Amino acid sequence: MSDYKYIGKPVVRIDGKEKVSGAAIFTDDIDFGANLLHAHIICSTEAHALIKSIDTSEALKVKDVVNIFTGKDFPFKFGLYMKDRYVLAQEKVRFVGEQVVAVVARTPQAARKAAKLVKIEYEPLPAVFNQLDAMKDDAVLLHPDLDKYPHVPWFFPQEKTNIAHWRKTRKGDMEKAFAEADIVLEDTYYVPRYAHCALETHVAIAKYDYSGRLTVWSSSQSPHTQRNLFAEALSSLGLTHKDVRVIAPHVGGGFGGKAGVTMEIIPAAIATKLPGYAVKLRWSREQEFMNTYQRLGLVAKIKMGAKKDGTITAIDHKIYWDAGAYVEYGANVVNAVGLSAIGPYRIPNVSIDSICIYTNLPPGGPYRGFGYSEFIFGLESHVNRIANKLNIDPVDFRRINAIKEGDTTAYGAEMNPSGLHQAIDEVAKAIEWDKNRESKDPKKAIGKGFAIFWKAPAMPPNASSSAFLKFNEDGSINLLISGMDIGQGYQTVMAQIAAEVLGVPPSKIRVENPDTDRNPYEWQTVASHVTWGCGNAVKKAAIDARDQIFALIERVYHLSQDSLYLEDEAVKCHTKKDFYLPLKDFVINGIMTEDGTFKGGPINARGVFMPEFSSTKGDPETSQGGHPNVHYTVGAGALILEIDKETGKMRVLKAAEAIDAGKAINPDLVKGQITGGLLQGLATVLYEDMRFDKGGKMLNPNFSDYKIPTSMDVPDEIIPIIIEVPQPDGPYGARGIGEHTMLPAAPMIANALEDALGIRIKSMPITAEKVALTLLDKEKEK
Amino acid sequence: MSITNDFEYYCPSSLDETVKLLEQLGEQAALLAGGTDLIVNIKDDLESPSAVIDIKRVSELRGLDIDKDKLFIGAKTTFTDILDSSVIKDNYLLLWESARAVASVGIRNRATLVGNICSAVPCMDSAPALLCYDAIVHTVSKTGKRDIPINDWFIAPRKTARKADELVVGVTVPLPSQKNSGCYIKLGRYGGEDLAQAGLGILIRADLEYRIAFTAVGPIPIRAQKIEELLKGKEIDQDLLKQAKELVAEEISPITDIRSTREYREHICRVMFERGLIVCQQRMNGEIINTVRILGG
Amino acid sequence: MKEITFILNNEKRSVQVEPSETLLEVLRDKMGLKSPKCGCDRGDCGACVVLLNGKSVRSCLVLAIETAGMEIMTLEGISAKNLNALQEAFIAFNSFQCGYCAPGIIITVTELLTKNPKPDLEEIKEVLSGNLCRCTGYKPIFDAILDVTGKEVK
Repeated sequence: MSDYKYIGKPVVRIDGKEKVSGAAIFTDDIDFGANLLHAHIICSTEAHALIKSIDTSEALKVKDVVNIFTGKDFPFKFGLYMKDRYVLAQEKVRFVGEQVVAVVARTPQAARKAAKLVKIEYEPLPAVFNQLDAMKDDAVLLHPDLDKYPHVPWFFPQEKTNIAHWRKTRKGDMEKAFAEADIVLEDTYYVPRYAHCALETHVAIAKYDYSGRLTVWSSSQSPHTQRNLFAEALSSLGLTHKDVRVIAPHVGGGFGGKAGVTMEIIPAAIATKLPGYAVKLRWSREQEFMNTYQRLGLVAKIKMGAKKDGTITAIDHKIYWDAGAYVEYGANVVNAVGLSAIGPYRIPNVSIDSICIYTNLPPGGPYRGFGYSEFIFGLESHVNRIANKLNIDPVDFRRINAIKEGDTTAYGAEMNPSGLHQAIDEVAKAIEWDKNRESKDPKKAIGKGFAIFWKAPAMPPNASSSAFLKFNEDGSINLLISGMDIGQGYQTVMAQIAAEVLGVPPSKIRVENPDTDRNPYEWQTVASHVTWGCGNAVKKAAIDARDQIFALIERVYHLSQDSLYLEDEAVKCHTKKDFYLPLKDFVINGIMTEDGTFKGGPINARGVFMPEFSSTKGDPETSQGGHPNVHYTVGAGALILEIDKETGKMRVLKAAEAIDAGKAINPDLVKGQITGGLLQGLATVLYEDMRFDKGGKMLNPNFSDYKIPTSMDVPDEIIPIIIEVPQPDGPYGARGIGEHTMLPAAPMIANALEDALGIRIKSMPITAEKVALTLLDKEKEK
Repeated sequence: MSITNDFEYYCPSSLDETVKLLEQLGEQAALLAGGTDLIVNIKDDLESPSAVIDIKRVSELRGLDIDKDKLFIGAKTTFTDILDSSVIKDNYLLLWESARAVASVGIRNRATLVGNICSAVPCMDSAPALLCYDAIVHTVSKTGKRDIPINDWFIAPRKTARKADELVVGVTVPLPSQKNSGCYIKLGRYGGEDLAQAGLGILIRADLEYRIAFTAVGPIPIRAQKIEELLKGKEIDQDLLKQAKELVAEEISPITDIRSTREYREHICRVMFERGLIVCQQRMNGEIINTVRILGG
Repeated sequence: MKEITFILNNEKRSVQVEPSETLLEVLRDKMGLKSPKCGCDRGDCGACVVLLNGKSVRSCLVLAIETAGMEIMTLEGISAKNLNALQEAFIAFNSFQCGYCAPGIIITVTELLTKNPKPDLEEIKEVLSGNLCRCTGYKPIFDAILDVTGKEVK
């Protein structure tokens, strides 16, 4: 084992005291004084309609109303990967809940009162709520001008259709492979939409001051990306990037929902029309459900062939995504899955079609797992079924096919070092896979479910991270970075990395939430990449600081840099044992030499990381070539499920999940991700789903009817397992694990149900009701 | 989300004062006790009262009054008050269990039983117990007092026998004259705080009288009279149980909505009925049975 | 507007309120206490829980005007001197991630421990069932409470 002092240790979170004392400041907690204005957004009641007229005359008369804005005030599009969204709806609305009118008033009450008096006349258009319908030739087009929308070069929109992007991956000879297979299984799986349900809803405050600069305080996973999109969208006002400042306080949960830009652009745009005021917009819980990114729904058709010995020969995976009315970010979910939907398997013949389809439902976008949870439900259900049909133990079947380092992925790149086989073994052991359990209660059945998973960060090839590190007089450190601690413990982990290099305890390193004016560039806190990407940048910054320190010592004391090392907040020397110079003695004020002059000065360091090997230049028809994914994180999960055969109620008696973190910089935090992520995953299969009526209106936009789990709904026992097969280009070998923890949950439940009761449920969620009714149907058939 | 509806706030300290206010303000007034329904309704613009009368300082509405053969539950009594009462737990277990099924502690500390029956939402938890115990609702208004049997209280979803100028002072719950046992079983979508998709209260007496009431599976909570008649005076055996279970569908009228389907509700009511009866019998024999996870999960 | 007086975090305070203002709004916007959070605004999530006369209530469902003369305690009041053992345990067990639910949860548990200093796991689960946490999976919260009450953490 290594002799690290802070890496791999359960260092306490540096944001602990703030968060347990009520001191932590979230965006909505900032006071702006009496000049704060409140925006209230009137949302579309129609799923697809032309806006015939908007009458604001009565509303404008309400006391304390300052102004009312409509789409014509902000006639521009924005978007992260594809510019297809609008600040406020232009002549058309495309989903129920779309932002149409912004009422700005001195109090939230006045804004809401006035909003009730705004009259909007719509002319309904035919609407489409199902992606398969939207693919039909006669389907209504949501975006007739799709071919004119700017987008990243690796998207392939199909003009005059509702297909915003179609990622194709092709490898080998499918026909031959299926012909040679001993078994071919074909089926379809369904996954509905889901909501992130961060406890803090979206909120942003924007101020455009009289000097012409725009400051936005926002609850965000992406302060720099937001700055970029604001500056681009508002460039017609003469705003440049240096004039736009995004300040991101603590975030009350992200899960992907606060990545990119959604509602934040509304107060930013309004602020430019009302100079001198701060303008706040805060989504209600209902708006949070209806008008932020949702996790995309899918219909997945899987055809898989295998030999009697258990080798998978081919997979044909067709995935139809319900991407919603605007796909600017969601299309990249589709893209990521189109490259990776063979799962963590070695399969020589592959055909994947991942199709991003516009529908008149709220925009789909990033959600923890970024499409992988969705396809893994079908894939890992399917794999289990094939194993059972071949009479091969499902775990052994996975052992036969699971990918290893050096195998080729579907798009032809080489698989990175991976502890997948170790994860499979350890989970099987922890869950006692070989042991059969039976319930003592005749009304209950017990089954076991297994699943494996992988996921790569989905990001542009040039997604970069950077870090500034500066010492203070007492030898403490301010580390300036721009990733967001959305709860995962990122700030603590970054402090640990700097601490390890510099011999300063993490408790003496302050990491604050970013301000784009002061903190250096970070692409976004998404894709489970910040530990890896920003961690590399922080390590480089710390090494830069160390190099500056050693160079100074060499210059003043003539000690070779090679002989120096940092420990216990001081410089020490291997060759001169009595040399000891505390950092606090010189990191700001330098070192006094014999003549009374000082050498050195404040130690300020920087580090940058860019994955220079990454490339999206694959062939559009096959995705072969290029290196679109920097690496995959892999793992395995299993659970023991008890089912009440009459009520369908399920209880997870035990769950084990292993994940290959490369190097767990803070094992306690990794375990915390497993415990929390697994429950979020179990919730998607057991309780949650977004329901819409026939007109596209969400039926359950609140926690009364969108059920996220409570303390009563946790597994009886969770065994988190950390595997460490180092990632060569990761900081201390680390790679990200945040999203992955929820990936195996749904198929584990589906597989356990089949194991216990012989029923196979192919659509999520798998609620108690669905199980009970399926069992009743089965009984009737008898 | 702020409340946009403006209203006057009144905080009377006596029953007389409250009755006068109700007379003056009539339907414009909303009565506020725990507020856990009212405030949500006002926020959602489902109710827009011009006056809110806070009855929490009316001393006559205070708390629990326990007599040897009856229990008075004043309008200010919260579900937490009910749960904290060992007398209720020992003597009115069905009522105690229904209080425990209501939401969670932060709601139960405010929400009142009288508020629950006045809101009269179809998924309310407290009604089956009151129906089984033959509770009486006491109202007062300028024109006088009324004692309304709980059976006549519920008229339709969110509609009760209360007149606009009436104040519910409290509810009397008679103690069954015989040794008895009971239980409340609730179907929720999961273990945590949820609105009932179906609820069932059962009270059985040593003289083999059975009281059975369902909630959330019809427009109003109801007593299952056919089943009660079938079972009356009989010991339960497999055959009788089977017959009774077949009657369940005739007693209830569940709908399909966002929370559940008609089919599942019907099915689960039969399961709850069977399991509930068994629990009651076991409890009658002195066994301590925990019903929290009685439906599994 | 009407002036009300209450005991807020052990101090006597007065404030002008409209009848329609909730306690949550008044605490946050007029008293400057930001630990009670708004997560759903309809009593479903528990992020706004404060102690009112010692009992946990959802401050989004309480009118401020109702609380005249009452005692209100927020997490700021609990933290005023030092972090208590429960708060320290929350740090030790990583019982929060984003931290948005933490104030409501700590308040809810504070009430529980006052009523019952030695709750078992089932009681802890039941009491917490009205406080939603989307990050932790709850187990680290159970662990902190068990630890602080002297029970063995598995």
